[in-house]
Amino acid sequence: MTRKHVLDGVKVLDFTHVLAGPTCTRLMVETGADVIKVEAAPVGDMVRFMPALKNGRSGYYIQQNRGKKAICLNLRDKRAQEIVHKLVKDVDVVVENFTPGVMKRLNIDYETLSAINPNLIMCSISAFGQQGELSNLPGFDYIAQAYAGVIDMIGEEDGPPYFPGLGMGDVSTGAHAYGAVTAALFHRERGGSGQHLDIALLDCLFHCHELNVQGYDGSGGELVPHRSGAHHFAVAPLGLFKGKEKYLVIIAIGAQWNNLLKVIGKEEFNDDPRFADNAGRTEHKQVLIDAIETWLASTESDDDAVRILQENHVPVAPVLSVPEAMAHPHLIERQTVRTVTDRAFGDVKVPGMPLRFSAFPDFPDLQAGFLGEHNSEVLSSVGYSESDIKTLLDDGVLADEPIPT
Amino acid sequence: MTQKHILDGYKIIDFTQYLAGPSATRLMAEMGADIVKVEVAPHGDPSRSFPFRANKRSAYFVQQNRGKKSLCLDVKNEKSKAVLTELIKQCDVLIENFAPGVIGRLGFDWETVHKLNPKLVMCSMSAFGQTGPLSHLPGFDYIAQAYAGVTSVIGEPDKPPSLPMLGIGDVTTGVHACGALGYALLDVHRTGEGQLLDISLLDCYFHQHEINVQAYSASKGKIVPRRSGSHHYAVAPTGIFQGPEGYIMILALLHQWPEMCKAMGREDMIKDPKFASNDARVENLQELIKVIEGWLQSFDTDEAAMAALQAVRVPVAPILTIPQAVAHPHHRQRGTIRKISDRMLGEFDIPGVPLRYSNFPDLLPLDAPFLGEQNREILGEWLGYSSEQIEAMESDGILINAQH
Repeated sequence: MTRKHVLDGVKVLDFTHVLAGPTCTRLMVETGADVIKVEAAPVGDMVRFMPALKNGRSGYYIQQNRGKKAICLNLRDKRAQEIVHKLVKDVDVVVENFTPGVMKRLNIDYETLSAINPNLIMCSISAFGQQGELSNLPGFDYIAQAYAGVIDMIGEEDGPPYFPGLGMGDVSTGAHAYGAVTAALFHRERGGSGQHLDIALLDCLFHCHELNVQGYDGSGGELVPHRSGAHHFAVAPLGLFKGKEKYLVIIAIGAQWNNLLKVIGKEEFNDDPRFADNAGRTEHKQVLIDAIETWLASTESDDDAVRILQENHVPVAPVLSVPEAMAHPHLIERQTVRTVTDRAFGDVKVPGMPLRFSAFPDFPDLQAGFLGEHNSEVLSSVGYSESDIKTLLDDGVLADEPIPT
Repeated sequence: MTQKHILDGYKIIDFTQYLAGPSATRLMAEMGADIVKVEVAPHGDPSRSFPFRANKRSAYFVQQNRGKKSLCLDVKNEKSKAVLTELIKQCDVLIENFAPGVIGRLGFDWETVHKLNPKLVMCSMSAFGQTGPLSHLPGFDYIAQAYAGVTSVIGEPDKPPSLPMLGIGDVTTGVHACGALGYALLDVHRTGEGQLLDISLLDCYFHQHEINVQAYSASKGKIVPRRSGSHHYAVAPTGIFQGPEGYIMILALLHQWPEMCKAMGREDMIKDPKFASNDARVENLQELIKVIEGWLQSFDTDEAAMAALQAVRVPVAPILTIPQAVAHPHHRQRGTIRKISDRMLGEFDIPGVPLRYSNFPDLLPLDAPFLGEQNREILGEWLGYSSEQIEAMESDGILINAQH
């Protein structure tokens, strides 16, 4: 039997909405799992109303929910909870990202569901985790970023912090959850039991401090991490340098330091005690910035500067805008940016699948569900008749929307 | 037999250095795998020299490499290649983050290792991927970040972009690799077939554009993602506001916006066409900011202002500095931040393990290795080399070790 991807046959019941949770189950769908997305009646996942909107359809929703079966339930109704209890008997994984406590109030928490299916793996994703004094607060990516000391590290030293314009915390947390679920599935496959996973945005964002936490604590508070605009506060040269036209990222640490000095014609810095080590280079970074920017100004163009630095093995990059990145031949060739076709929306570009498996080189063709599109299919699979389903729909226990033809 | 953790008994040969690759194997060490970190003689992982350093020891290195065994050898020497070949036959995973092509020049490209061990999963991590016109270039986190269009959306619109001062891209790419490896191992368990994973920083960074890519594409260029200082360019109110004391992050989306209007005593704004929809609020952002900041200033403290928003379930947060974040009781209580002890550096804080398993609630006691610390254990106990053979390789400079 050929399998369509690594997770072929793995069944997932997905109570997630917005971004962090849907990222986790999106990666699972891309790797072959069967995902049933349960949306809360009457309107479903709130991102169905997030931009870009066209033909009553959200590009945001499509990007995160392709390939999932959509059912829409009023989970406050006992009959909807019963449907969940029936579905959970036959699934491997439940993923949810409600505020902690909501699943319990809906009678579909880990204790209840694992009593029905002891092998169940349940992954709870939240802003602050399932316990701790902040755990009952609602939260989004940027809220957890603020609590994780991330936002404070972005911006000019003497100005307000800046807002990073993309959902890095949510997507990263989704990828963390995906990793955790895989290990739990693996554990079960080797004969272990099911279990409950507690994944928090706060933990995952804090986890990204490679330097700041150990640097602050290990130095006994001598090294205080702080935002410092376009250049790193503790490593030099590492930052954004003014090129002829735009900004370039240049990083020259280790052996690349000598390569850079050769390129910019400053080999005498090698004998300059100010630049003997990273601490000295950081202390005197303005001298380095001036020397590098003077050289950049002498080049013919940013392309020319990038080429020369690349030829000399100095890591360099142009700061591409999102439209420029989407048009870059490397991103297109690798399908880092890819076009998907939605039945109502039409073509739309989205980020590609970042996990590449040699045994499954093709990306599956997937469609995002309309609200409640798979209500009948999913409910009939656990024994509901057509008339049962109609009653539930009439009573508002199920909800759906018309599917354009 | 009780299992110490989920990956108990799994062997990983780890050629990674710096941050992205070591993040992946660090998580696997936390999950109980046996990791042999192959370090290139004579100095090993370049991050052994990264700040903060004391006693010739880098806390940066310690954070990323606890629980791994260090094997430091002259990788170009034929005797070393024989050692690595034998190890690859025993391992479940090979992971590397050299520039594409380097692992092949060392003699361990995918075709070769797949023949040596058909069950082996190999994971290659790189800045730009194993294919494509940029793939040959060296790169670090911020290089891929710039190419992914990420750096361009951070900062004031009319000023240079700003660097996010933490390794978000490297750590997240490590997490992506960890997830992909887990599923590939699950596949080996079910089919007996290994495979190659190609994970790049560029892909993983680009993967995080939740709005920018689809909105630019679907709006046919009408929505142009751009940096916009302290506030989101396409969603409002979503941004950083001046509170009575410091800065406060506030997001009031969809149903939360009317709640926020009520909390501010400005029910009139709910139906005001200038603020009734997200598009209108984005268009009138400056006025919106003035109203919100004016209201925030009516409180004596940031805490009181946040409590008023929390009472109506509007997401809000203080912008914590690193010193404040590491001291926060929630972070401590949950182990988001944890204290470890190193043999040379003593006790210090690092970020906690973000993957929490109910079956394995305890964290494993792990130590970061000295350079080449387990040379003898791996050659002797894993591969059956005699003491004489090992000593000869040490005196020939093929095996290297140090007490730090």
